[in-house]
Amino acid sequence: MEVLKINGKDREFVKGKLPDSVSELLDVLGVDQATVVAEVDGEIIERNDFSKTALSAGQKIELIRFVGGG
Amino acid sequence: MAFESCDKSEHGFSGDDFACVCASNLGEEVYAKLSGGCVAVAGLGGLGSVVSANLARAGVGRLIIADFDIVEASNLNRQQYFSDQIGMFKTNAAKQNLLRINPDIKVDSHCVKLGAEEIVSLFADADVIAECFDKPDQKQMIVETVLAKMKGKRIVAASGMAGFGNSNAIQTKAVSENLIIAGDMETGIKPGLGLYAARVGIAANHQTNAILELLINGSLDGGV
Repeated sequence: MEVLKINGKDREFVKGKLPDSVSELLDVLGVDQATVVAEVDGEIIERNDFSKTALSAGQKIELIRFVGGG
Repeated sequence: MAFESCDKSEHGFSGDDFACVCASNLGEEVYAKLSGGCVAVAGLGGLGSVVSANLARAGVGRLIIADFDIVEASNLNRQQYFSDQIGMFKTNAAKQNLLRINPDIKVDSHCVKLGAEEIVSLFADADVIAECFDKPDQKQMIVETVLAKMKGKRIVAASGMAGFGNSNAIQTKAVSENLIIAGDMETGIKPGLGLYAARVGIAANHQTNAILELLINGSLDGGV
């Protein structure tokens, strides 16, 4: 098992099935990329870089999802 | 100092009267921090029209406000505009209302659709930025822009305020040193679940209250 810490909680992936990028992780989680601010190990990842930003086991990921209304 | 002693003007209420009332209510030290403060309000709908008005009431000296929209009849159920302002640009209507509260408030109004470039340039002077958009991708855009491109700048955003009831689900959350979010984090607008002045106002006042704490104390230590 490989682990990503997402919003403070461990999420396990079968070895070899860890999402390759922030983009892929959001797809796995079923989250609309346009509404999420992502931080990997304390660094803000801009939306344009979601697919270019590789992930590896053990990283800490914060995902802040926005919903409509204001 | 009693309020009566502030109301000296023979020609109606002046900016000096407003300053006197604020200083008397808050104390000189706190009022100096607020009157010397500058807050940017991005979006002037249900959130922004309330945040800007209540920051003005608290004595914040300068607001940078931005929106591209006009006041429509359908806004009056929850936004701080009035029927005689329908058809005005929200920037103009909001500025008019803010000056009615504090005749001396400095309002930089920008009638533009904010993108990353505008946010970075127009909001450079702000001590704190209030995210008051309605669309989730726009909320994402400004939060990402401020955190990635305006290092050290603080943004107070809002997410999750649709519907009615469940007041206590709305909270202020310090996500990181520079990002604070007010709301229940999950209740978005959808068919059959609209926006009400009350619940949007609760979120807006969570934002306002956090911003005041940041201006006065420099951090949210006491408030979350």
